[in-house]
Amino acid sequence: MQKNYKESILCKNMSLNKKGQMTIFIIVAVVIVLALLFLFLFRKNIPSLFESGLNPNEYLKQCVEPEVKPSVEILADNAGYQEPQAFVLSEGKKIQYLCYTNNYYETCTVQQPLTKKNFEKELNLMVKPRANRCMKNLIAEYEKRGYEVSSEKIDSEVSVIPGKVLIRFNTPLIVTKEITNKYSGFNVEMESEIYDLLFIAQSIVEYESTYGDSASELYLQYYPNLKIEKTKMSDGTTIYKLSNVITKEEFKFASRSLAWPAGYGTDQIKEAK
Amino acid sequence: MILILMGVFISLSFTSAQIKDNVCCEQTKTGFYCLNVQSSECKEGARQLPTSCESTSYCKKGICYDSNEGSCVDNTPQLVCNANEGMWSETVPAQCNLGCCILGDQAAFVTLVRCKKLSGFLGLQTYFNKGITSEVQCVMTAIGQEKGACVYDFEFERTCRMTTRYECTQGEGDKKGEFFVGKLCSAEELATNCGPTKETTCLAGRDEVYFKDSCGNAANIYDSSKLVDKNYWTNMKTKLESCNSNVANGNSGSCGNCDYLGGSYCREVSSSTGKASYGNYICADLNCKKTQNGKDYNHGASWCVNDDKGTINKGDNSVGSKFFKHICINGEEVLESCAEFRQEECIEDKLVTAKGELSQAACRVNRWQDCTAQTEKIDCENTDRRDCLWKPGADLPALKIVAEAEDYGGGVCLPKNTPGLKFWEGDEAQTYCAQANTQCIVTITKDLFGEEKGQPKNKECLEDAWEQEKAGICMNLGDCGPHINWIGDKGYKSGYNKTTSKYSED
Repeated sequence: MQKNYKESILCKNMSLNKKGQMTIFIIVAVVIVLALLFLFLFRKNIPSLFESGLNPNEYLKQCVEPEVKPSVEILADNAGYQEPQAFVLSEGKKIQYLCYTNNYYETCTVQQPLTKKNFEKELNLMVKPRANRCMKNLIAEYEKRGYEVSSEKIDSEVSVIPGKVLIRFNTPLIVTKEITNKYSGFNVEMESEIYDLLFIAQSIVEYESTYGDSASELYLQYYPNLKIEKTKMSDGTTIYKLSNVITKEEFKFASRSLAWPAGYGTDQIKEAK
Repeated sequence: MILILMGVFISLSFTSAQIKDNVCCEQTKTGFYCLNVQSSECKEGARQLPTSCESTSYCKKGICYDSNEGSCVDNTPQLVCNANEGMWSETVPAQCNLGCCILGDQAAFVTLVRCKKLSGFLGLQTYFNKGITSEVQCVMTAIGQEKGACVYDFEFERTCRMTTRYECTQGEGDKKGEFFVGKLCSAEELATNCGPTKETTCLAGRDEVYFKDSCGNAANIYDSSKLVDKNYWTNMKTKLESCNSNVANGNSGSCGNCDYLGGSYCREVSSSTGKASYGNYICADLNCKKTQNGKDYNHGASWCVNDDKGTINKGDNSVGSKFFKHICINGEEVLESCAEFRQEECIEDKLVTAKGELSQAACRVNRWQDCTAQTEKIDCENTDRRDCLWKPGADLPALKIVAEAEDYGGGVCLPKNTPGLKFWEGDEAQTYCAQANTQCIVTITKDLFGEEKGQPKNKECLEDAWEQEKAGICMNLGDCGPHINWIGDKGYKSGYNKTTSKYSED
């Protein structure tokens, strides 16, 4: 008896469930139809995310990325200089000296002590115009899509941080279309290991200026992904190529320190004088 | 009596360098800063003083401090530092004092500002100890920290992260939690939402491959046999307690106990590493196999290679040859040449480490310059001072190092590795090589009938052997005489002249 009672209760509940489900399905169907109708009729006035499809960070990243990567490569290939001034020619390419002496038997004088700062300065010169243009385009894109945009002065800044190149868009935006979105600025990040290479270069420059040379093995102890290639030229110049074996990024620079002349060097000393 | 005197000689000619006045130039036309050059080479408008750059205020070298990064660079001229918005100081400023920066379970021996910067990058609180004055002590401090599971509530869930006691108990805001020393976040007894997975990961600053729990924390060192071992997912294990701790486990699919000094390091699996039984990371083998000299070397090892023709350390290096240092970097053999003209030589030794011997090479200055000035064997072979070899019985008449001389030590002192010379230009090579000029007077005595009387004095000078010996000394000096080049080809000329002439007749 007990068993039958339980079963009957169960059957009753099941029939109730079926009716409930049907009701829910009908309600959902009506809601969907109404929603679609609403979207179709009033779509221009709906400030929804899926309608605009505009992710400002993603938009800026896609816009600025094609400029950043080649700029980093160009600068890294030239010791952080867009247009090297004091350079040595190697295989037809100008390689900037970061440490130099024109004499024999003496250590070099540092020509660029703040490698990372200089790199950022030059990178800003190269990337900023494009970055600012991207910001303007973003605003224009919002406006094109019917948004009301309020912004302050367009400004951007590129910086190099561990593992990344960071582009800060320091332009607060207020985007309105029924609802208002406020942005204090935008940050776009791109993966890059150039930060480590810049500081290693700075350290090598200090070594060169103190001891006249550097020991590659020393850096390998601290940086497992680093590869250092040193090419010595006949005038005593050393061309350094630092690279990350994982990302394949490279940084090149030249140094002339504690150079030795051929023989006693009397000919070269005469020439120098 | 008739005396016939014959000689072989080359005349010496010395030149004196004309020294012109230089100025310390703020910037040269070629863009260099602070060089002593001729006035005409200075950029227009740049400051210049007829003195050494060290004596000027604008080019004096000092420390350049970057207040943004907290880095200090020595040997920087004042104007170069200032132009780059650095802070220049003649002596080491207080900002450049180093201390121990604890970054989680890692450490860096840096300045305070740098420590703040690094801590910021890692999202950690700054923990700087200026009382620690050595890098080793600093590293030991970081290693000695208690590590374990930090359990805290986040978005109504009991979660966990692996960290140090300091970071857990002193951390900011909602990251503060209860610390369980030596426990893993996946420990069931902690009742967090973190559990074991089959995934692995690499950690910054660590050699090994680690298991990863479901919260993304690193657990113990990857060991495929411990995937479902409850104890292995509960308590932290040391490197020594983990799999195959005595070997490097290069390219091992089952054990992630990598050892950087042994030549393996945590890397993503690739075609060169093979696959791991679980996860996407493996102990990549960084060592170099079958290098140019046929030997295997560990990552970070360096060695000397001299495969140019000719010999080394015997005073007869070939023309154009130089020393090379090879380094094994990430499984690749990288070449570094020592200075041109053999002004540097490669030296090699072995470091004895716990993991075995590690070959280390370096390019060192070739100290050949005062070899020929040594007249005693003991001075010549003094390796603390110079790199020369003693040639007994030989002489250098041009330098008056001859048997008849009072200070003749019974031989001549010559470079062990001969210096290269720019023999194709200038006159230094000629002057230098002239040190080996020699003249031998052969005296032949004839009687009244023209018949030779007795043995001629120095008759051996007319023989080929004498000529070869003297040519050998010529080569021992440097790129002089009948040398071969670095690919083994002989020169088009003989490399020396032998003149035989009748000197006088009485």
